[in-house]
Amino acid sequence: MKKFWILLKFEWLNFRADKGLLILTMLTLMAGLYGIYYGTTEIQRQRENIAALKVLTEHNMEELKAKYPDGTDAGDIGYYHSTFAVNNPDAWAGLSLGQRDVNPYYIKLRLLNLQSQLYDTENINPLKVLSGNFDLAFVLVYLFPLLIIGLCFNILSVEKEQGTLPLLLSQPIGLPLIVSAKLTFRMMIVLGLALLLSVVAMVWGQVLPDLRVALWLSVVVLYCLFWFGVAFVVAALQKNSAFNAVTLLGVWLLLTIIIPALLNVYIAVKQPMPQALELTIKQREVVHGGWDKPKRETMDKFFAIYPEWTDTTEIQGRFAWRWYYAFHHLGDVAVADLAREYQEGLQARHQLVEQLNAWSVPVNVQTIFNAMAGSDLPSYVGFLQSATSYHDALRDFYYPFLFNQVKFTNADYAKEPRHRFTSSPDFATVSAGLYKLGLSVLLVFVVVFFLFRNVKLKVR
Amino acid sequence: MIKSIAKKEFFSTLRDSRFVALSVIVLLLLLAATVVGLHSYNTLQQERGVAQQTVNDQFANAQDRHPHRMAHYGSYAFRPKSSISFLDFGLDSYTGASVYMEAHRQNSANFSQAQQSGSLIRFGEMTVAFVLQMLIPLLIIFLCFGAFTQEKETGTLKLLLSQGVSLRQVAWAKVAGYSKVVALVTAPALVLASMLLFGKGGFELGGDVLLRLLGFMVFYLAYFFIFIVLSVVVSALHQRSSTALVTLLGIWILCCVIIPKASANLGASLYTTPTKAQMDADVHKEVAKGIDGHNSQDARAEALKQELLQKYKVKTMEELPVNFDGIWMAVGEEQSSKVYQEHFGELTDIFEKQNRISEYAGLLNPYLAVRHLSMGMAGADFSHYIHFQQTAENYRYNIAQELNHLQATKLKYGDKETRLSSETWAAMKPFTYETPTAGWALGKHLVSVVALLLWVALVCTLGIKLIDNTKVA
Repeated sequence: MKKFWILLKFEWLNFRADKGLLILTMLTLMAGLYGIYYGTTEIQRQRENIAALKVLTEHNMEELKAKYPDGTDAGDIGYYHSTFAVNNPDAWAGLSLGQRDVNPYYIKLRLLNLQSQLYDTENINPLKVLSGNFDLAFVLVYLFPLLIIGLCFNILSVEKEQGTLPLLLSQPIGLPLIVSAKLTFRMMIVLGLALLLSVVAMVWGQVLPDLRVALWLSVVVLYCLFWFGVAFVVAALQKNSAFNAVTLLGVWLLLTIIIPALLNVYIAVKQPMPQALELTIKQREVVHGGWDKPKRETMDKFFAIYPEWTDTTEIQGRFAWRWYYAFHHLGDVAVADLAREYQEGLQARHQLVEQLNAWSVPVNVQTIFNAMAGSDLPSYVGFLQSATSYHDALRDFYYPFLFNQVKFTNADYAKEPRHRFTSSPDFATVSAGLYKLGLSVLLVFVVVFFLFRNVKLKVR
Repeated sequence: MIKSIAKKEFFSTLRDSRFVALSVIVLLLLLAATVVGLHSYNTLQQERGVAQQTVNDQFANAQDRHPHRMAHYGSYAFRPKSSISFLDFGLDSYTGASVYMEAHRQNSANFSQAQQSGSLIRFGEMTVAFVLQMLIPLLIIFLCFGAFTQEKETGTLKLLLSQGVSLRQVAWAKVAGYSKVVALVTAPALVLASMLLFGKGGFELGGDVLLRLLGFMVFYLAYFFIFIVLSVVVSALHQRSSTALVTLLGIWILCCVIIPKASANLGASLYTTPTKAQMDADVHKEVAKGIDGHNSQDARAEALKQELLQKYKVKTMEELPVNFDGIWMAVGEEQSSKVYQEHFGELTDIFEKQNRISEYAGLLNPYLAVRHLSMGMAGADFSHYIHFQQTAENYRYNIAQELNHLQATKLKYGDKETRLSSETWAAMKPFTYETPTAGWALGKHLVSVVALLLWVALVCTLGIKLIDNTKVA
């Protein structure tokens, strides 16, 4: 044991003396801190923007109250009044922003047909979202493997190339001890750094201290172990440092860039999404066609869905709001199948990713992080569904005014339903991912074990 | 002598089985990316083409309608893919494909590919540009890291120099040899791409597409050249191959992975993007107040009424030879569009400021310079996106005003019943979109052109000078 500590101490002295390694570690630390800063401020900004939406709704209501001081037909309010469905971020989203910058986190809604409003997008700088988010998840998934590679690519080869390995082995210590000391030292640095950054991020982002703390930390540890395993497999081949560096970077490139890119292609081909354009075209045709159809026809179709309004008065004249909202409603009904298929298609794409992410550990880990933070596609689909129910609630709120022909007064705004939705973590994905991650780590270490048992040491 | 060094580098590389294996992998990826890109291009192009045709037909064959009803019915603009965007998707996966164009409202471009994908898409897409930008430089590094260090380690450099050649000549000879190898790897894919583009790909054979493709290739060649010389220089500055390699890999990680993301994120942190909701609310407020900020909408309508009554010397609205409804609507559209344009301009400015950080970072990082130029040539960059949005907005404005004009001239004041015949709609021009010229695209990326040229000049002068100054022990 004493020898082990001596080796560890000398590794530390070596590390301190090697400016390159020190710089590499410091760079990773800085990148991690920047990632935490960026992720949490981005979520903070989204929170502020969401808070500002409340003010916008207030302004809108004040304007309408001033415009109709004695109240008016609810149809006017339904047309001119807008509220927002908002997808509040979970505090964990600051650690892994996922798709929160690509998918809109609020939807402006009026009583009009939902399908023409549901997919409106936020102001997005496409070059920025193409470049991606520099959040903690990026640092952990992309940069930590590079740090591990940087620390480990020459773990044995450097001793050989400097000619110190025979010297070292001439002492009464075996190779396993040397390797395990080197390994322990590097793991202490990397895991210490990764766990430190994670904890800092959790405190900084003020996350709820729930089960996810343990899950996140174990994913981080397992993921680092996986890369250490890969580094040792390569080290066990006992080639020179240059070969090791190229091979390890090649593995990194394959797992974090090439395989994901190929998976993207596969998913796009396997699960095409043609529904979107079809849906948007069809809903317009149906809604606007409503103007040209006989009113009776429209109302009969509508009453088939809402029998409770059937015996309301016959529509007289050119225009009545309840007729107008009825054909808007029918527009949504006409594309309900397409809308459902669209959401199912999105879900199917995510499920494909889940099935295939065993091919790439980084993709798996990113999926776990995003699932924990509730920032991936399923939580967006959840938000779409929540916004849909909210719009239904708005209809349920306004239809009695419209069909009983009750005036909408200024006191009624307060009774209007408000939307509440917060992205929730997807623990099923997390546990499935964790299981796969565990298997990957196990697999790599079995290979490591096998190689170290069977490969003969070449001292030169 | 120089020729024979170049020749030696060329042939000894081809004899290195590891390098050949890597090259074959890269070449296969390149060919795969070409095919995949073309497939994705064809799918999206067809989907959008069909959609555009559908809405154009729907518009032309629409029922007899009141013109303002037709203005609300509106139309759609589906963004066609630029023909060489199959080589570089650029921002296309992150920009909306469809814009709904209706009266009074400027809608967002919806349904981007990224919104229809999970976070997997953020790992990047398999395109020719990706292989050229990220993988070929790695291949170059692998090819060149031992250019000088190997000769130093085996002691052959001294022998070589004793033959009367200078270090500078050796460097150039090696660059020439390696360039040939890189050409050998990339040429087949580029030839295939060109053949697909000009062969049976179904593309329109235009001088402009040719120019774009030519630009695309030239910029990449410059980029490869920079990396080759840079690698040779780094190799010359090191004594050992392994340290040269690690340095080069470090440079690659910094240039291709960290700086692009950091610079884009920095831009977004420095310049805050306003939300669409806030922007729409501001536009609404300004329009309601009037351009000058104190004229209410009703007061403006009254003033315009009086003006028209005086102009035509009549007493009532019904006597006017034009329909006030249409005129008032046209005035409203003009004002709201003007206000919207101001805000859209501000938003575009903010985005451009954010992007400028990445553009100027191109001066430090040739990867960013070539990435911008590549997207630009492929017609998939930010400027092309804004150009499309502007074209759609102009079309929306014109069609709304045309319909307002019909209302003003064909219908009577207060008439909400009369319907114009379907032929009226068929006579209106459908939405079409032409990609701007290659020259226009290049003009948007002058910084990146300068950056790339500077890098070429820098590695050729300063880089080679550094080689001159190295000591051969």
